[in-house]
Amino acid sequence: MRAKRATKLLIEPPSSATGDIAFNLIIFFLVCASVQPESGREQSIPRSQEQEAEREEKHIEVQIRRNVALINGVVVRSDQFARRMERLLKDKKRNAERVVVVKSDKQVEYQHWIRITEMIETAGGIITIQMEEVREVLVN
Amino acid sequence: MKIQRKTARADIPSLCMGDIAFNLLIFFVILARAQDESHLQWQPAHASDVQNTGHSKVSVLIDKDEKVYLNGQPVGIMQLASRIEAILLDSPQGERTVLLKVHRESKAIIFEPVIEAVSEAGGSLFHIVEKQNES
Repeated sequence: MRAKRATKLLIEPPSSATGDIAFNLIIFFLVCASVQPESGREQSIPRSQEQEAEREEKHIEVQIRRNVALINGVVVRSDQFARRMERLLKDKKRNAERVVVVKSDKQVEYQHWIRITEMIETAGGIITIQMEEVREVLVN
Repeated sequence: MKIQRKTARADIPSLCMGDIAFNLLIFFVILARAQDESHLQWQPAHASDVQNTGHSKVSVLIDKDEKVYLNGQPVGIMQLASRIEAILLDSPQGERTVLLKVHRESKAIIFEPVIEAVSEAGGSLFHIVEKQNES
């Protein structure tokens, strides 16, 4: 005959501790979420007054359309854009000469815009956004 | 003979402490969520070269519906520059970062005036984008 073991081991975790466990789990995930860094790209855009002062210079002009980009009025394929921009900015040493005026169509998507402006900045250009002026006229 | 009154014990059961703390935490988490941007829907654009951002007091978001939010609160484009200026006040150059979170399909007619407003307020623009996979 087999002898039965006298002692029974406790196999259930104590239910009183579940609240504390949940509390510590939440603290852990909150801390994890709050320290998660965001990634991105810095962009320096000159303030309006500075742009006015530099308007006299002849700047490179980039037009961004829905699917293409133009440099000084000429359509440039996206795979050649960076190289063309580098070539144009190569001999320009002063900041005022490196200003690239960016004009975008109203329907240009942000994804396309960020890709083009990234290439301009990587080539050493300083971006200036040119927008259509909206003027309100009050009629009495 | 004086009959002694029975004294009842009024201790808070220590067993409930964990649950009380848990519920308090849930309450504060929900309160905090109402103030941040995690409830707003947007998808970041992709870029090949990205850096990690530091601390910033100002965050401007354009969501899927092309609505503009300043630190999680809806704002009109006309008031954006003055509101950013009010938050940045006299912050020194390194602390004037403005995080710009734009939904990747937003149109230039919406995001360009926002960029202009940040520039007008003297903020240092930081586009929040995702690193593009090389594959």
